[in-house]
Amino acid sequence: MKTVEKIVCPTPKAGEQSCSGIYGKGKVRKRREWRGVKDTFYDYTRWLYLLGVIGKFIIKPRNIKGFFRYRWMMNYLFVPHGMDKFTIGLRDEALRMTHIAMNYVIADVTQAIDNCFRGDRRVGNDKAYSDRCVITDENSMTCFMMGFDPKVVPAILREVPTMFAGNIFNQFSVTHYLDVAQEHGLPGDVCPMPEAEAGISIDDDFCVLGCCAVQNNTTCDGSLMGNGIIAKRLEREYGIPTFQLAAPLRHKEDDVLEYAAQNIKDAIAFIEKHTGVAWSWDTYFAAAKRVNDATRKRVAQLEINCTNYPQFVGAVFSLYNDTNYMGNCGRNEEFCRKDKKLLALAERGLAAKHMMAREYRHRCIVWGVQPQYLIDMLYWLVQCWGVVPLTDMLSMVNTDMIAEEDTPENREQAYRDMAMLNMEMIMRNHTHGGYKVLVDELWEICEKMNADMVMMWEHMSCKALTGMHGMFEEQARERGIHIMWVSHDLCDPRVFTRQAIRDQVNLYMRTVMREEPLDPAIEVIDDNEAW
Amino acid sequence: MNKLLKFCLSLVGIVLGLFVVTFTVYFFNLDMKLTSAVAPLLQKWYDHMEHNQYL
Amino acid sequence: MRDLKYLTYFENLLQEANNDLITQAKAEGGIAVAYTCENVPEPLLNLGRAFSIRLHAPHTGSIDIATYYMTNLLCEPSRALLERAVEGGFNFADCVITPDGCTMMNRAVENMELLHTMGEGNPNFFHEYMEIAFKDTEADVKLSVLQCTNHILKPLHEHYGIDISDKSIREAVAEHNRMCRAIRAIGEFRKDEHPRITGYEFHVLCLATYVCPTALVIDKLEETLEELKTREPDEKAARARVLVVGSEVDDSGLIKLIEEAGAYVCCDRFCFGSFPGRNEIVLSDEEDALTQVCRHYIHACQCPRMMNMEKVYGRKQYVIDLAKEYRADGVIYEQVKFCDPWAYERMLGSTMMRDDYNMPVLSVDRPYTIDSSAGQMRTRVQAFVESIEIKKIQKGGQA
Repeated sequence: MKTVEKIVCPTPKAGEQSCSGIYGKGKVRKRREWRGVKDTFYDYTRWLYLLGVIGKFIIKPRNIKGFFRYRWMMNYLFVPHGMDKFTIGLRDEALRMTHIAMNYVIADVTQAIDNCFRGDRRVGNDKAYSDRCVITDENSMTCFMMGFDPKVVPAILREVPTMFAGNIFNQFSVTHYLDVAQEHGLPGDVCPMPEAEAGISIDDDFCVLGCCAVQNNTTCDGSLMGNGIIAKRLEREYGIPTFQLAAPLRHKEDDVLEYAAQNIKDAIAFIEKHTGVAWSWDTYFAAAKRVNDATRKRVAQLEINCTNYPQFVGAVFSLYNDTNYMGNCGRNEEFCRKDKKLLALAERGLAAKHMMAREYRHRCIVWGVQPQYLIDMLYWLVQCWGVVPLTDMLSMVNTDMIAEEDTPENREQAYRDMAMLNMEMIMRNHTHGGYKVLVDELWEICEKMNADMVMMWEHMSCKALTGMHGMFEEQARERGIHIMWVSHDLCDPRVFTRQAIRDQVNLYMRTVMREEPLDPAIEVIDDNEAW
Repeated sequence: MNKLLKFCLSLVGIVLGLFVVTFTVYFFNLDMKLTSAVAPLLQKWYDHMEHNQYL
Repeated sequence: MRDLKYLTYFENLLQEANNDLITQAKAEGGIAVAYTCENVPEPLLNLGRAFSIRLHAPHTGSIDIATYYMTNLLCEPSRALLERAVEGGFNFADCVITPDGCTMMNRAVENMELLHTMGEGNPNFFHEYMEIAFKDTEADVKLSVLQCTNHILKPLHEHYGIDISDKSIREAVAEHNRMCRAIRAIGEFRKDEHPRITGYEFHVLCLATYVCPTALVIDKLEETLEELKTREPDEKAARARVLVVGSEVDDSGLIKLIEEAGAYVCCDRFCFGSFPGRNEIVLSDEEDALTQVCRHYIHACQCPRMMNMEKVYGRKQYVIDLAKEYRADGVIYEQVKFCDPWAYERMLGSTMMRDDYNMPVLSVDRPYTIDSSAGQMRTRVQAFVESIEIKKIQKGGQA
């Protein structure tokens, strides 16, 4: 089997050496981590900042009204706890990068909720604002909005605060909606993500705003099918017309590109018709430049993670990429500044050879459909077992540049670029398009990043992934890569609890790898009931 | 001068006091402990709300 | 009723994926084009000496090997097909053409390819994967034309020298239509108060048209049609007439079980069924045949993966129109376990049937082969039949 060089940190990290002291039974942690004076103070200031963000949001009367109207708003009380999940054991640059990225994601989501409530017919009911808004899917590239000024035509990703982000802060955030969907006849074996979205729609717990909605066949059959249920209510009850933007599945084939581009054109025409605002090529190409900038910075981060001293890793790396690449898609300039800061920090950490744990034993690619936003898994993995998650499937998205100069040829090319981005959106660019992008590309990434291990998130309701289970096993064996299967049911923690997820790693590391943990005190953590 | 010094000292005192209070809340996770006490009440509120469940 | 002359003959053809007619067609120099989804335009697989065979896995028992490769979380049909392929049950195939329709079926075929389950000793053997339309627009027709050209016609021509001309397509469509006319005419008898064919018998005949070479079943189908014209129906009317809607049913045992439980399956709107799979394709001389075939398949498609809302609403309207035309008292929405598209469609469809159309509906999931869950299904159908009878009594009709 393949092995990698063991890297040992020459000095102990500041503050406490084990994170075990912070965990307690029940919903909350006993206390926050002592990271030495400098880093604890930094973490404290970021905590204050987050309280400020939440305070600024809740001070608006309409947001208070929204808070008491929507069940999912309760999840945002747990934001500081959610943040703590992603910083366990971190110091120096890693801590700062995690905070910068995650704090910005939180600020972005807060703004999204504020926008939702502003236009929501039940809360803010700002009709003039609502009439300019376009509802888009949560798990969707917003590239078809790149030519609309976000201040003039806001894209409302209403499923993000309602479902996706809420789940980051509270692992039980969608169980109510899953129950609602199942009470209405949806089987429990479909992916809980679109199932929860369907449940929210049935429970009438989405904000209602916008002049139109664009849906996408995003990640899977379930996601495609959930759209119909949501669209029916939007159209028939709330009178909001919907457009279904088709993204071909076999995205690596040239013969689907024109179709995908035509769908983008049709989506733009649909938005123009309903908002009354014309597509602007100036706005588009400015956004395209920012998309390319984000791509370059992401690739640079991945290059750093190819070295012996990876810097920006874990769930936040993935979550930030997800938000930046898909939800933002070049429309917000602030992401460029954050990208720059993050890269500078990563370069500084690399130069100083800073590590997140006292030992790096294995270099790991995290593959599959991940529940890692709900759990501190990847940070735990490095602290408990010295397994460094170099990157994950969701972060491995487009690395090609798109046309960014406004020329007549590039205006046609732009549709193809948007089509490509749309087809190769996060997750589906690997889960669909044939086994080459799911299986073969994994081994290429292992080779490039010098990984000896794959942690395979096996989402039990993701048919695209589990359908290749045997092939992963066989091909990993042929290549001498350790493959560690970790089953879960995404946002339904009632099926696999957090410890049940960690136990699969513990079992593998002890029985197959014959290793002892770096920090045995956190091998078992009683946090199944925690948010 | 005295007044200015007093003002500065009281300002430092207030800032320090605030720091001590907020840092205590931060370090001992009191914010989340309070939230965990409030959350069940909110849960009841949401559970009792009427919803137009419709497919 | 008297037994149909060819019922046993057709039943026997369904006992093996590699049936006698496939052997015969291959012996006559035919090229077996295997496929796995109703979204593939069937006549395009029947050009020249090529003949289409939709893969199925009758009498599926253990699916352990496929479960190792695909886990027990994928639908049983996809695993059953892979298992059968691993066992060598599809060795007759000269190529496999698969659309990326539903994920699970696509993965099943990808596993078949990676495991080299077919094509041994045949240097011309190939696998092709197609993108298929998501909506009913002209852009989708264009996509379909391109996909059929690149993934059906060109490979068939390059690997086996099949004539893919417009004339050849029109001939294949003519043959397809002849078969469809026969099946549809046979199915028409199900509208009668005292039908002269059972739902089970019809399903056997219809299923045979998918899993046997078209050219070799037409004669016997037409003969059966003639026989039915003079067949004496049973005097007793069915307790309840039901329309079965849902994911693929290639196990006639399911239809038989429903009928044994007291219902009469008066119409079939499922994968491997006659609606819309056995609609005639009307060609004009104004446009090339390929485009027209593609347009036909997209317009007619009732697959839940079609995502535009006209199709979403249209699918329910289609079901209710069929229910009226075939005088169904109720609708059974069935779904193979773990099938995502039909899981959602079943929920929405059954709710709309009840709420929007006031149509009694039974919503069930089921395993691939009904034998493993016969008792459960029988109880549910019996209860459904009784509920329909009670409704009829309440309305003042006769049970």
